[in-house]
Amino acid sequence: MPASAISVKGLSKTYNSAFGKQEVHALRPLDLTVNEGEIFGLLGPNGAGKTTLVKLLLGIVHPTEGSGELFGISIRSPEARKAVGFLPENHRFPEFLTGRETLDLYARMSGTTDMDRANKSEELLERVRLTGSAHRRVKTYSKGMMQRLGIAQALMSNPKLVFLDEPTDGVDPVGRREIRDLLLELKAEGVTLFLNSHLLSEIERVCTRVAILKEGRLVREGTVEELTTQDRIWRLRSTPIPDQSLGDHAHLVSDAQSNGLSEYRLHAADRTALNASLDHLRLAGVEIESVEPLRQSLEELFIDVVEDAST
Amino acid sequence: MIGVLLLTIRELRAKKIILGLFGVATLVWVVLALALRLDVIEGSLAGARLFGEEMSGDSDLTDELGEPALGNSLLETFVFGAEMFAAGAAYWVGILLALFATGGLIASMLQQGQVDLLLTKPLSRSKILAGRLLGVSVVMLALLTYLLGAVWLVMSIKTGIWNPRFLLAISVVFVMFMVLYSLISLTSVWTGSTPLSLILTFGLLFASLILAIKPLHEQITQPGRSIVVGLYNILPKFVDVGAHIVPQLVVGETVESWFPFVSSLAFGVVAYALAFRLFQRKDF
Repeated sequence: MPASAISVKGLSKTYNSAFGKQEVHALRPLDLTVNEGEIFGLLGPNGAGKTTLVKLLLGIVHPTEGSGELFGISIRSPEARKAVGFLPENHRFPEFLTGRETLDLYARMSGTTDMDRANKSEELLERVRLTGSAHRRVKTYSKGMMQRLGIAQALMSNPKLVFLDEPTDGVDPVGRREIRDLLLELKAEGVTLFLNSHLLSEIERVCTRVAILKEGRLVREGTVEELTTQDRIWRLRSTPIPDQSLGDHAHLVSDAQSNGLSEYRLHAADRTALNASLDHLRLAGVEIESVEPLRQSLEELFIDVVEDAST
Repeated sequence: MIGVLLLTIRELRAKKIILGLFGVATLVWVVLALALRLDVIEGSLAGARLFGEEMSGDSDLTDELGEPALGNSLLETFVFGAEMFAAGAAYWVGILLALFATGGLIASMLQQGQVDLLLTKPLSRSKILAGRLLGVSVVMLALLTYLLGAVWLVMSIKTGIWNPRFLLAISVVFVMFMVLYSLISLTSVWTGSTPLSLILTFGLLFASLILAIKPLHEQITQPGRSIVVGLYNILPKFVDVGAHIVPQLVVGETVESWFPFVSSLAFGVVAYALAFRLFQRKDF
């Protein structure tokens, strides 16, 4: 069983208004585990509690109830953040520092040694394509450059767990792909990544597991495959099925193409029922090219879940 | 904590006003060194010229018995007078400028996007705030030591009179700056607003001016008198320390009462304790 990088039990956050008359439940009691080496994506509409959860895990806000651990150390202890890197949304580096000085100063705060800082900053500046601008003050940086500098900052202390809040925000498509590649490289190095992003296609491409929050509650959680696979529906590509064999369990999606194949949706309660349907089709002379579980995109799932939860 | 300290020093260095204060300090001692011409004959002041003008030789610095303060030579009187002026300027003008220069540091640290980066480092919140305050302290102490130390050296070398007690003014001015900065820290942590913290601190200075008028304590009727006396005892006594303790220390007189200094210090300690407690508990 893999060790957990993040473990949360009954963690919640409630804000009180100035005179304590009104309570805002930013996060309802939540249980969650993220295993080491995963790329975990956190999704949810605005105000769902995503940022609150990240802030709770990183000690930026205090929990109302419950507990959490990073690599087995309580989130209330600064020690828990020793192996952690963080890229906040809309981060602001002091404008008077150069890119290189920024990396050096923030890594010093993480307890990184002089030698490690020097070596690591050059390596990361190269990795995020900022070597040529490292001597410039950050106030001259574009938004994309600031974002790349922020990612480099988050990686300076060789963290085992990295929280990234909207990492591709303001980054052009090429830069976005580079960041995606960087995330996959980090995963290959065994780094656990906790991703908070509105770009569902990005999450779908890189995340191994996803959770969806809505109004402070966890509404769905699982691997991308588990979540996007639609229950009891399969995509069938075959030679055309005679009308009398279609029945209720199959319907045509697209007519025969130049290769003579059509696409159908097959409805079956389980694998046994699916195989019975396929046998029935074969008996009717249908040649089967492929059968695969039907998946919806993460974006479709997200909209379904959010709309379901709101109704 | 060293990282936060260095960041604070870099931030202060980037502020033009701090460089300006160091520039003014340099100007003060350079002008003093070039403009002051003393004719010292056998340890006594025979004549003094500032910018080439002959200065009056009469001394009005006397102790309670009407004797000249700390020695009876005119030269000593002149040196003490000049040093008292320098210490007074550092106290009355220097502290106000320094508060302006550093007033926004705590609030800027607490801005969204910046505080998140600091709080997610493996540092306790106390260390983060302490690092910030230590950075301010280091720069202010360096500035005061540079200004008053240089004035002291110039005066001592030019006159041959070495008055080490003058250097005590550095610590008193520094402590009083930090006492006032405690209110800036508390207000900034509480509200995140630089303007409000400066308004409250300068309001406190104004209150200190009013409360230092002793006849007011007698003339006002109850229950107003209890309030005025209570506030006087609780709040920092900026005027009393600047008008009595600093000059007495500089010229080597016995300080009549340390109460204004000690009670101001107590106010600072309580305000810092509250600021740390609030910073510890606050959600960002």
